[in-house]
Amino acid sequence: MTGRRWLTLAVLLIVAALAGAPKQARADVTTDCEFLEISAKAGDKPAIDAELSPVEKKLKKPPFSTWNQFKLLSRSHKSLAKKKVEPVSLKIGAATATLVEIVDKSKVRLTITMDDDKGKQVANNTTTVEAGDYMIYVHGLANNDGHLLSLTCK
Amino acid sequence: MSERGPVKAGAGPDVPSAGADLELMEHADGEANGAADGDPAGADVAARIGRDPDARVKVAAIQQIGELVRGHLELSADAVHDAKFAAMWRRIDDQLEAPATGLWSRVARWFDRYRGHVITGAVSAGAVAALALILRPGTPDAGFAGRPGAAIDVRPVALRATPEIDSLDTPGGSSTVINLDDEDGHTTVIWVTPADTVEGI
Repeated sequence: MTGRRWLTLAVLLIVAALAGAPKQARADVTTDCEFLEISAKAGDKPAIDAELSPVEKKLKKPPFSTWNQFKLLSRSHKSLAKKKVEPVSLKIGAATATLVEIVDKSKVRLTITMDDDKGKQVANNTTTVEAGDYMIYVHGLANNDGHLLSLTCK
Repeated sequence: MSERGPVKAGAGPDVPSAGADLELMEHADGEANGAADGDPAGADVAARIGRDPDARVKVAAIQQIGELVRGHLELSADAVHDAKFAAMWRRIDDQLEAPATGLWSRVARWFDRYRGHVITGAVSAGAVAALALILRPGTPDAGFAGRPGAAIDVRPVALRATPEIDSLDTPGGSSTVINLDDEDGHTTVIWVTPADTVEGI
């Protein structure tokens, strides 16, 4: 094989690899999710952490109006890959998030598990939700306090 | 060169005069060669040199000084000449690119040598890539959405579907699902009440 043919073959292989790369990237579907861990209490004076501004309006409405003091315990940003269980570190207990699939290009099917501080599973849920919408898991604690986990994906 | 003045009468060979020295200088410089040029004054000077040893010494000295000056000037002229040439060559050398010896230059030379082949390969590869892109089967769930680079299309709130609970398991407790709608979209609240909680919501 002459040098010219080798060269042409090499360039073809490189371009074919580059053309295939976007396809591979598309197969690695991901979604970016934000998790907010919140503690909720009923107190004399209402107080909501400034960092909770994305969900502040929701927290002032029922059923969250049971409490009036909300404190951000932790905040994490996760890029979820399809079918890959992603641990979400919490101050109280633990959680995992898994992207099952993307539906109709605008919805995510997620499996969320949440454990309490003793390692006991509180919830195991799979939900299909539109990108940009919120899911809030509420776990009642002693003294009527609440442990909330809010998440939204885009 | 200058006005020739006659030698004063009575002035002997031992009495130098400016006019006589001037004539000797002219003779030494070859400007007054005597009878050969048909110059009677030059012939007189030549005759005087012939009979006057001092005049001969002066002429010889003048000729030596002249040679020295001439040699010095020629050397200076040669030196200037060389310096000018050296400067020219330096400029030329500076303007000429140094011979490339690095890896990049070798790669560049290789591409120069095979430019036609590279272009042919690139055009062929481009055609193949275009065919591959056109004929590639569609990807159902990972397509391009509204924003560039985003895997998911965030739809307007009004167009968003209600969340669907596919499965919900709350071991050791009871659950309540609440759907809230506001201007930000849907919010699905999954409220888990532990079984041992006496007072719930």
